[in-house]
Amino acid sequence: MIELRSLTKQFGPRRAVDDLTLTVPAGEIFGLLGHNGAGKSTAIGMMLGQVWPTSGEAKIGGFDVARQRRQALQSVGAIFESPAFYDYLSGYRNLEILSHYTAPTSRRRIAEVIDWVGLTGREASKVKTYSHGMRARLALAQALLPQPKLMILDEPGDGLDPEGLHEIRQTILRLHRELGMTILLSSHLLTEVEQLCTRIAVLKEGRLVFEGHLAEAKSRQNLVRLRVSDFPAAVELLRRERLILDSRDGKHVILAAGTGTDQVVRRLVEQGMPVFEVAAEEMTLEDFYLSLMKSGRKAAN
Amino acid sequence: MFLHQLRNELWKLFGKKRTYIGFGMLLLAQNTFNVIFRFTNAFRFYERTLEGNGYAAQQFLSALSICSIMLIPLAGLLMPLYVALVGGDLVAKEAEDGTLRMILSRPVSRVRLLVVKWLAGFIFTVGLVLVLSVLGLLSARLFFPWGGLFFWNPEFGIFGVFDADAGLKRYVAASIFLVSHAFSIMGLASMFSCFNIKPAAATILALSFLFVDLILQSMPYFREYHNFFITYHLQTWHYLFAQPIPWWRVAQSLSVLAGANVTFLVVGVVAFHARDIKS
Repeated sequence: MIELRSLTKQFGPRRAVDDLTLTVPAGEIFGLLGHNGAGKSTAIGMMLGQVWPTSGEAKIGGFDVARQRRQALQSVGAIFESPAFYDYLSGYRNLEILSHYTAPTSRRRIAEVIDWVGLTGREASKVKTYSHGMRARLALAQALLPQPKLMILDEPGDGLDPEGLHEIRQTILRLHRELGMTILLSSHLLTEVEQLCTRIAVLKEGRLVFEGHLAEAKSRQNLVRLRVSDFPAAVELLRRERLILDSRDGKHVILAAGTGTDQVVRRLVEQGMPVFEVAAEEMTLEDFYLSLMKSGRKAAN
Repeated sequence: MFLHQLRNELWKLFGKKRTYIGFGMLLLAQNTFNVIFRFTNAFRFYERTLEGNGYAAQQFLSALSICSIMLIPLAGLLMPLYVALVGGDLVAKEAEDGTLRMILSRPVSRVRLLVVKWLAGFIFTVGLVLVLSVLGLLSARLFFPWGGLFFWNPEFGIFGVFDADAGLKRYVAASIFLVSHAFSIMGLASMFSCFNIKPAAATILALSFLFVDLILQSMPYFREYHNFFITYHLQTWHYLFAQPIPWWRVAQSLSVLAGANVTFLVVGVVAFHARDIKS
């Protein structure tokens, strides 16, 4: 559904996105992760033709976004963090305005979508009277109007309370199950991504550091439970030897890429530190994400 | 689709309270002028000029004369401010508010979006000129009798005296040509609005450009180069009150303004098309 090929964006001396090649298959809920300034929003901007790539190309549904904008974006809906509307107009008028940039939209279709997102009865009120949650629903409604096959969500949970987050999560699942949409979800909320996405890509400083199935990411054998006589000393030694990236809870270490547990045990024993237990553990997405952020080396499969 | 999009732009434009600041202030200014002319000796200066040229001044102390005299300061000072305010908002305000990002996630081209906005700006301009001229005449009629039209602008060497019928035709013609004046300022502000700047900055840039242009044009050294200054051409509508109308001068200025507007649009389109739209 989305194909990015060697996509690069340079803002002055800063490279916001660096040689990004990524494929989002149709029918997936795809998570795009990364720290603030990692290049997620810039990458999404390039997918939507709002930001011009310095080099490379972005395709949606096989159409080049820069050269075939109309065809590429015809079946795309997008929601951004803090969705902006014409606050002085009604919700209904906002939907009418935004939908006409895609295609003429019937009143029936608008009413249908208002009903789907649960805004019936409030559509005639001015948007400035809407709560944060209602604005989020209106944002969803405007994205749904053109009957998209692809929904791009850029930090949709930003600023929402737990109830709002739950609602967003349920909505994403409904979009996927009931409407069969492909969803690209860019988020900081790792638990949301962990619960929703089947595949993820992680960006760090504009570069892709991981792309693959979520299950694969979590089963990577680099979170290890380590029981030794002197854990801090062991960590210091292993860190100095560049065999681990990090430690946590006084009992876990995150192995550096290419490091095996046998090397860890050998090095500790050589230094006279008895090892009582070493066991690989399944990582949470948070563990995996943090280890990637610390490693800086490309782990893309 | 195009008409729907134009209607949308008009909804957006006329849904905002700040769009009406210009209409409201013009009405207020017109009525202030009427009160001043009606209840003070402000018209005496014009009376002396008329009588000095052998006309009976009382025949020309009319609604047509007062609203035509009012046009000079209102079209020269207040109207540019309001059209520049709306023109400066056209693109930059949407970019600032974030709604531009919502629009540009849809399959509409930037050129088309800008052309639609430009047309909406033109319709606003026509509306503002209508308020200025039609309501100006109606409000003046509440204070002054119907009668002949007297228009005097020593700077342009215009001294026009007309009976009521001819005067009304001249007033209507001047109002129509005033649209070119207002729309050119709107175009200038809209062009700046297409760059990556705040809406207030676009408005201020447009007004600064006009002030600098006017100051330079007024300097004796630049008199022989006045054709190169846009403010010289913006004043074309004054000549619709001249006897006879210097049509060559009017046509020359209209051509220059048409060229300037095309340039503003092209520069605006290029700037808008080239820029990145980010949150």
